[in-house]
Amino acid sequence: MIFEVAIGDRVRTVGIVRKGAVLHVDLDGRRHVVDARRVSDSIVSMLVQLDGASAPSRSVDASFASKPAAGDFDVHLDGRTIPVQIRPAGSFGRQKKEGHATNGAGPQRVASPMPGKVVRVLVNAGDAVKARQGLVVVEAMKMENELRAARDGRVRDVAVKEGQSVDAGAVLLTVE
Amino acid sequence: MKKILIANRGEIAVRVIRACRDMGIATAAVYSECDRAALHVRLADEAWPVGPSAPRESYLRIEAIVDAAKKAGADAVHPGYGFLAENEDFAAACRDAGLVFIGPSPEAITLMGSKTAARRAAIKAGVPVVPGTDEPLSDRASDADVLKVAARVGYPLMLKAVAGGGGKGMRMVAAAAELPGALRAARSEALSAFGDGAVYLERRILSPRHIEVQLLGDHHGTVLPFVERECSIQRRHQKVVEESPSMVVSPELRRRITSAAAAVAKSVGYTNAGTIEFLVDADGSYYFLEMNTRLQVEHPVTEMVTGVDLVQWQIRIARGERLALDPESLLQPKAHAIECRIYAEDPDNGFLPSPGRIQGLRVPQGPGVRDDSGAYEGGEVPIFYDPMISKLITWGDTREHALQRMRRALSEYQVRGIRTTIPFFQWILDDEDFKAGRFDTGFIDRKLRKGPLQEIDALHEDLAAIAAAVHLFTRPVTNGTATAAASRWRDAGRVEALR
Repeated sequence: MIFEVAIGDRVRTVGIVRKGAVLHVDLDGRRHVVDARRVSDSIVSMLVQLDGASAPSRSVDASFASKPAAGDFDVHLDGRTIPVQIRPAGSFGRQKKEGHATNGAGPQRVASPMPGKVVRVLVNAGDAVKARQGLVVVEAMKMENELRAARDGRVRDVAVKEGQSVDAGAVLLTVE
Repeated sequence: MKKILIANRGEIAVRVIRACRDMGIATAAVYSECDRAALHVRLADEAWPVGPSAPRESYLRIEAIVDAAKKAGADAVHPGYGFLAENEDFAAACRDAGLVFIGPSPEAITLMGSKTAARRAAIKAGVPVVPGTDEPLSDRASDADVLKVAARVGYPLMLKAVAGGGGKGMRMVAAAAELPGALRAARSEALSAFGDGAVYLERRILSPRHIEVQLLGDHHGTVLPFVERECSIQRRHQKVVEESPSMVVSPELRRRITSAAAAVAKSVGYTNAGTIEFLVDADGSYYFLEMNTRLQVEHPVTEMVTGVDLVQWQIRIARGERLALDPESLLQPKAHAIECRIYAEDPDNGFLPSPGRIQGLRVPQGPGVRDDSGAYEGGEVPIFYDPMISKLITWGDTREHALQRMRRALSEYQVRGIRTTIPFFQWILDDEDFKAGRFDTGFIDRKLRKGPLQEIDALHEDLAAIAAAVHLFTRPVTNGTATAAASRWRDAGRVEALR
């Protein structure tokens, strides 16, 4: 079975097959022998044969937290938390061809990072704003969080009012 | 005292329930709508609803809490910290309802809770204070008026909420130009956090360390100070790591600073648990900062170095017992202890709150480790409250020993499904300046400005990729609609198609 795994900006190909009691995992052309035991639905104990070892012996206790998107996980191992996206082979390539919005140009849609309440709107539609200028203050979990402009621009529209409750991801205003 | 109502939620409510259990006292919890299945409700002997999830409609409603205590037939109320813990009206309402308030008197809360009145009390007791305004700034004071006062205090200065605590309603102002904006922000934050928008000004001491003294006072005139805690590791004025003893406090300074703290508390007839906070500058001069008229989040480090259960003593004091503790032993640390506050916040994303369901939880165990937590596997971290989900404490013979145990405990600690500050603490614990004790209260904010927390190294990136593939490959198929067997056939088909 072949997967594509994205960690950070990097997409890598992982092939995996069962060979008797162990798994052969090919990562970017390099083979790792893995003795895997499932501890629970979300925990796997792995003994991994790393470079030079005579047997699968490096103990890696890996556990997983799923996210809303299928194939997105946080992998917890060795005291670290590593966000991973895993898809059937070819998926990420297709996604790139379809084209995705990037950060560089185009309007900046300022969205609430979490559910909360709009405490203050610091700008009006039509205002010119500088990079890092405060635009709107959202209160969540007792702290006020000021959301700022990513770059110089002009406020196109303000979608919220002071005192309004907002969900995570709700677009509060747009800067162009 | 047969039954205590705990007017709080989360990890501190659990901590108080445990103290009550240890003493054979029954417990009544209170809960808001979203907290029905919270750990403190599950552990208490009984639990009473106090309203909707928003704090103002539940945990901050004095009548609802007092009413619950009466219905439960409780003799006493423990406020924990946060919410109504430093609200004199609540302490008075308990007293009026014939309930013992496990904390200081309403009068002491009023006096020491007002930071400006507390400053005057410290001055009267002969304890040095940081230069600043002794009165809150008037709500009607214009920017020009405030600028005039600020010029007298001197820059850089701090804006602080009179009713404040926990870094809320607090702003650093480096120069006059920043003052009007910072003033508006501080007032509004103070109003929303404490229901009181009054703020005052204080000169900022450069490179200060935050040293504080835990006190217990009984109703028979005894006030006892404990060995100091150091809480200089703060992010945006919020303590995140605390330890005891402090590396910079000599036995001589300990004697002076603990006597000063006891003198302030005694001068106002203080009873129950409280903490006096000081700033200590590079040459060992100390300044009274404020008093917290309640139990502190960091109380476990004092418990671990002195062997005293502070919450049990709060209860014993409230029922009239004398402080039967050896004053000398309270000033001699028997170990070194350190605490990390585990928050549901994402350190890789500007420490934004990270509420949600805890999918999996592995709690550190073994020698020298204590986890005071309100979290459990399957539990929710609601968006409505402070995001602290647990306090992790380790101790050892020396500071190095305690720190190494903390590294070990953090590596065992897994909270899956939400982000927490655990990686942030791993980063602090590995910092050379932190290890050497070279820090002040600006340490974290300076270090964080330098860049992101540690990157994931190549080996762990490889292992994560392997683990993810193994996870999907070996995952038992449990699909809500299709039968397991059918799903396996479909998977097999997909595997073939990929060849």
